Amino acid sequence: MKLGIKMILVLTSIALVSGLLLSYTYQSTKADIERNKEIEKERAIKVVIPGTERFEEKVINVKNYLLVAYDKDDNLIGYAMLTEGTGFQGPIKLMVGFDTTLSKITGMEVLENVETPGLGNRIVEDWFKKQFKGRLTPIGYVKGKKPENPHNIQAISGATISSRSVVKIVNDAWKLAKKEIKK
Amino acid sequence: MKKHSLFYEFKKGLVAENPVLVMLLGLCSTLAVSNKAINSVAMALAVFFVLFFSSLIIGIIKNLIPDQVRIPSFILVIATFVTLADLFMKAKFPAISKALGPYIPLIVVNCIILGRQEAFVSKNSLIASLMDAIGMSLGYFWVIVLLGIVREVLGFGTIFGYKVLGSWFKPWLVMVLPPGSFITLGIFVGVLNWLRAKGGKA
Amino acid sequence: MIQKAIIIFLAAALTNNFVLTYFLGLCPFVGVSERSSSAIGMGFASTFVMTMTAVIAWIMDWLVLRPLHLEFLQTAVFILVIASLVQFVEMFIKKTSKELYKALGIYLPLITTNCIVFGLALIGSMKNYNLLENIMLGFGAGMGFTLALVLIAGIREELEFRNVPEPLKGAGITLIVVGLMALAFMGFSGMVTL
Repeated sequence: MKLGIKMILVLTSIALVSGLLLSYTYQSTKADIERNKEIEKERAIKVVIPGTERFEEKVINVKNYLLVAYDKDDNLIGYAMLTEGTGFQGPIKLMVGFDTTLSKITGMEVLENVETPGLGNRIVEDWFKKQFKGRLTPIGYVKGKKPENPHNIQAISGATISSRSVVKIVNDAWKLAKKEIKK
Repeated sequence: MKKHSLFYEFKKGLVAENPVLVMLLGLCSTLAVSNKAINSVAMALAVFFVLFFSSLIIGIIKNLIPDQVRIPSFILVIATFVTLADLFMKAKFPAISKALGPYIPLIVVNCIILGRQEAFVSKNSLIASLMDAIGMSLGYFWVIVLLGIVREVLGFGTIFGYKVLGSWFKPWLVMVLPPGSFITLGIFVGVLNWLRAKGGKA
Repeated sequence: MIQKAIIIFLAAALTNNFVLTYFLGLCPFVGVSERSSSAIGMGFASTFVMTMTAVIAWIMDWLVLRPLHLEFLQTAVFILVIASLVQFVEMFIKKTSKELYKALGIYLPLITTNCIVFGLALIGSMKNYNLLENIMLGFGAGMGFTLALVLIAGIREELEFRNVPEPLKGAGITLIVVGLMALAFMGFSGMVTL
């Protein structure tokens, strides 16, 4: 019985100390972690909609945010979607920029992914991301050759699934953005 | 039990009782994050942090812990330091934290850490435990970083992101993929065994 | 929905085999995988614990941690859940079935510190699955682990009679064999897509 009480006492106090220490660290690192996310977001929107000076953010749902971009003279220059979908190995988080009519993509940036290094992970390579610039919505993909249709991009050889996932996430984001802007 | 000098407790982790190549502990983190040298360095530092402080705390409180709840208590202490390391990396080094993905939380079940607490810290003095922790971390460090360098050179043609092989080099994709990781580590184990056998005879 | 659950099962067992692509659960590979019979025992004990973990970790994650915004305690909570679950399963089997305890008992303590169980809890949480999907992930990952463990054990039994270079005997050749197996399993990728 005495041992039982000692066991509970020891475990509880370790758990208590650990909980307190972690809550304290979490509180003190929270600001930094949030700021890193903001910096990342700002960097990404300037890549996908060049010339963005400031943006307004609208929450569509937990995984999708619509960012309305303005240039330095406060003219509307485009919309960007911060969006997340499923890739081959796990979630892929993207920022996609559209022009003001949502008919053309102005750029795409990969924020987070856990695709296979060397294969699916090549979606972060510049040649792949740059292809999205200027594509007409909705987009599609072709394998093994240069695309002729202005809607299509070329999939990464050996990583069709990851390429297809990116295309799907971009199209889903485009549909959401269209619905949101019509409102 | 035979008493060893503090220097011996430090030195043994480097080669003779190397946690990865000889005791085969902590393989999952070693194999998973070593596709680039920089990831290896970050992982090794995180492991060092967790191993050192867990050994310190457990070395201090071990006499207060009843035997029956030894493992849960150890795991709780380790989990606390792992979460601290995770939060710290997220706040200060977001890029590396992203690259290491879910492998930082996995340090909790890295057998090196719990294994050392069980096998060494619970039976030895605090100072000896800390020497052991530093030695083991260094042993882990050189293996994972060397593995990272070999895989990065052959898989990307770079070291720490700098190009070292010219454009004639066609990257061996397999080296960055899981199979390359297993095979390279297997060869490492073989080479170390071979060197030790040779050293033993001489 | 049923279809998605089946796909998750197949993906966890074959294309994204936890051992061969996430490097999880390697410690028993080098330790236990020398005999096929013990490999099967270890495999099934782990599958059972992993399926249970998938349920309990999901409940803790979605009904406790996320509503209370305590995600940063995830690591500590998951590992405690697994440790107590394994202890509980061990006690339960000991009371109910002597034979089952004899068969699985010795593997249970090893499972607590097996990273595959903890990795499963983390990966499941990362993928935002619902409860059914998470169970399929746990079950599939467990079966995939069993499959890989049994295959390796079979090869190792054969290797004992082969002329392996002295320094590579044991761990070295096992790792190389696992590497070749990982290469073979890559052939499954593309077969199942999410």
